[in-house]
Amino acid sequence: MTFRQFAYRNVVRNSRIYGAFFMASFFSVAVFFIYSMLMFHPDIERGILGEMSLIGMVGAEIVLVLFTLFFLYYSMSAFLEARSHEFAILLHLGMEKRQMNKLVFLETMIIGTGSIIVGIVFGFSFSKFFFMIVREILHLEDLPLYISWEPFLLTIGVFTSAFFVISFISVYFTRERKLRDLIKGSDYLNSLTTYSKIRAFYGISLIVTTYILAFVVGHTSLIGLTLLIPFSATFGTYYFFSDSVPCFLDLARGKRKYHWQRYRLLSLAEQTHIMMDNVKMFFVVTMVSTLAFLSVGVLATMSSYTTQYDRLNPLGLVYKGDVDNPYEREHINSLRLQLEEKGLSYQLSRFIVVKQTSSFTRNEVEVFRESDMNVLLSSYSYPLLNLEAGEAVFIPYSEDSLKKLKDRVVHTVLEENNIPLTIDSVYPKIVFPGSIVSVNSIVISDEDFAKLIHPISDQDIIQPSYHLFTFVIPQWMETKDIGKDIDHLESNLYFIKKDKFSPFYFENAGLNYSYILATYSLFTLVGVLVATVFLLAAGSFIYFKLHTSLEREKRKFDVLKRMGLTDTELKKLVNRHLFPQFFLPWGVAMMHSAFAFLMVQGILRDIANISIVKEVFFAFGFFVLIQVVYFYLIRWRYISHIRS
Amino acid sequence: MPILQIKDVTKVYEGKVTHRALNQLSFDVEEGEFLAVMGPSGSGKTTLLNIISTIDEPTSGEIILDGMNPHKLNATELAYFRRRQLGFVFQDFNLLHMLTVEENIVLPLTLDQQPLEVMEERLASIVEKLDLTSFLHKRPNEISGGQAQRTAIGRALIHNPSLILADEPTGNLDSNSSRDVLELLTKVNQDKQTTIVMVTHDPIAASYCDRVLFIKDGEFFNEIYRDDRRQMFFQRILNVLSLLGGGQVGDLSTIRLP
Repeated sequence: MTFRQFAYRNVVRNSRIYGAFFMASFFSVAVFFIYSMLMFHPDIERGILGEMSLIGMVGAEIVLVLFTLFFLYYSMSAFLEARSHEFAILLHLGMEKRQMNKLVFLETMIIGTGSIIVGIVFGFSFSKFFFMIVREILHLEDLPLYISWEPFLLTIGVFTSAFFVISFISVYFTRERKLRDLIKGSDYLNSLTTYSKIRAFYGISLIVTTYILAFVVGHTSLIGLTLLIPFSATFGTYYFFSDSVPCFLDLARGKRKYHWQRYRLLSLAEQTHIMMDNVKMFFVVTMVSTLAFLSVGVLATMSSYTTQYDRLNPLGLVYKGDVDNPYEREHINSLRLQLEEKGLSYQLSRFIVVKQTSSFTRNEVEVFRESDMNVLLSSYSYPLLNLEAGEAVFIPYSEDSLKKLKDRVVHTVLEENNIPLTIDSVYPKIVFPGSIVSVNSIVISDEDFAKLIHPISDQDIIQPSYHLFTFVIPQWMETKDIGKDIDHLESNLYFIKKDKFSPFYFENAGLNYSYILATYSLFTLVGVLVATVFLLAAGSFIYFKLHTSLEREKRKFDVLKRMGLTDTELKKLVNRHLFPQFFLPWGVAMMHSAFAFLMVQGILRDIANISIVKEVFFAFGFFVLIQVVYFYLIRWRYISHIRS
Repeated sequence: MPILQIKDVTKVYEGKVTHRALNQLSFDVEEGEFLAVMGPSGSGKTTLLNIISTIDEPTSGEIILDGMNPHKLNATELAYFRRRQLGFVFQDFNLLHMLTVEENIVLPLTLDQQPLEVMEERLASIVEKLDLTSFLHKRPNEISGGQAQRTAIGRALIHNPSLILADEPTGNLDSNSSRDVLELLTKVNQDKQTTIVMVTHDPIAASYCDRVLFIKDGEFFNEIYRDDRRQMFFQRILNVLSLLGGGQVGDLSTIRLP
């Protein structure tokens, strides 16, 4: 038997031990490969998604590689730890340290090569499926499968060097221990760290501070405080696991009445021990899961924003200008010409909007004419308005305003022209995007509108009245290139001439949508990748940790069984053993992300006025489901190991 | 009335190599007796102990403990039986390292859901008897081997079991601690009339018992009872052991003619 054969047989016959490690690396390779396939896709390179997406994907791949390195290193050292007894025998028989390093190196490379091959085969066979999903998410027409050497070469290159590096690092960084201790087996617990009450207090208070900060930022505009949040969250979480939790457990153990009961005696002691032993792991898992939750939450938000975009922006093009806007005729003609050239059907409505002062609020109000409004409404084929003199209707500016204004009845007088009005309803649909219409907009009857002779009395108002042109375009997504010259002129006026008040304002929903879609695509591609790998890793950390302590646990349960532990009690004890390990870091991560989303929701309410509660709730529910399934899977394996 | 009866117990381990660990072994243990089981390595001592402690089943034959055959119980009843009727002392103590000494001792009672008052009362009496006060709140890795074994004895006694099974209790201890532990076991045996079955290699440990049973290759070999002087008893144990050694030691050696 040569040395290489020995290494080979070690791996093949230790398949149970190495199975998990193999699975972890194989999965990383597969994910990496699929993403490389997407990254090198000829269509993507030609820029369907724009430069940003490509840069983002490269960034994500780098993050993925770094994380995979860390993850593989962690699992590798866990397995070396689990096999320390075996190594001790080899060293005892006279193996040199150099030979042992070679052995570990060979074994890692065997597993590495195996997982690279299987990972690539698996990745390649699933890439078409993945492309189909990406195509659906990004609304692409076609994303065909292709064959090119680049993704293969990249994956093989990256992972071969990764395994190479890891096998060296993990050997050199394993704790140097005495042979005698190694042979005795990894009997640990020689370094029981203690907690400090002050740090325990810091842990809790930092986390509470973080939450309060998040809440404050969400409800006020103190965005600067956001910078503090990651720091306080990180330190708070660390202290929480290193000191606060042990402190609580110790307090609980102090109460005999509570503590000396059935399984509590054992499980509390065990939890204390697990906590103190694995502070770093719990911390990493929590932070990693928080990141994963956040990226998925952001994705959900983006997707809700894109699907709601259509409804919130019913108009294809909007052109708003002063009454004496010199460009008006030219621009509107050019827009119509461009639309006709493209063969897009449209319905144009023009408005004259007059500002008046309302006696009810003492504020300005934008007044629309009923017949102008009805032209727009008929192009939407919405119900038309029919107003008598003295009647008026609110124009909703957002979903929220629909509800708010619904039952509001206001008696007011337009002061400049002394026109009494009763505003008793809100138009039930959103007709203008929020950016166009002011929060105080009403429609009045043509008779009343004709009486508006005197302009608004407040001299500081810049636009006492304005012209509004709206284009309703059924194929609004295709208007991306229309009116580029106007956009250009507008920004020129703003930036070059420093003209603060451009005589017109132009908005193109199709163009805006294309920007949003590109950002969304970027987040999807990056977020899905990061979330998958992080979640996988977070679960695996726990599994590997359990795996290394398996022998010890088995011995413990043997003693307990001898002392008369029934099978059901054993299962309950295992539950109590596994449950906190699985759900405590996830619970904390979920709390963190919940508060993060509370903050994001608060900020979004100001900017985009969309609700992400439903999306986030679904995403979280999905995670809980995955975690529960994972818990039962591990529990099943764990119990069967312990019973054997 | 014997508290434990072993009747024609045979244990065969099936597997790639079939191995007969016990062969038609029979003996009785009287209530309040302190019995040592001796035999060379591989003679089936541990198998015997495992069968008595019901974590292993005999291939044939039966065991009657306190008037009933525990191997006829189902798994849960068996666990309850072990929890209430048996106490264990192991060679490597098998204390749970994350519990303190005190918690290790009360563990059997917490599993059995005893009220707190009962636990504290029993703990107090055990602690006093075994002199554990000085290290009650330490962890198993902070105390000496002798202290650990005393803790383990405390754990085996706290639920007043009808039978204590000890597997090489002095195997990991120095001579002073061994003496302490053995004197303790003797005291427990005499004071509370607790029946103890101890498996051991050590003739000194065996000399503390009322009776020593020798087994060899899974079969009954010999038994001797204690008389007044421990020294004499020890000598007799040594004699039997030398016989047990395979017939060479103590026999006349063959004469070689020049």
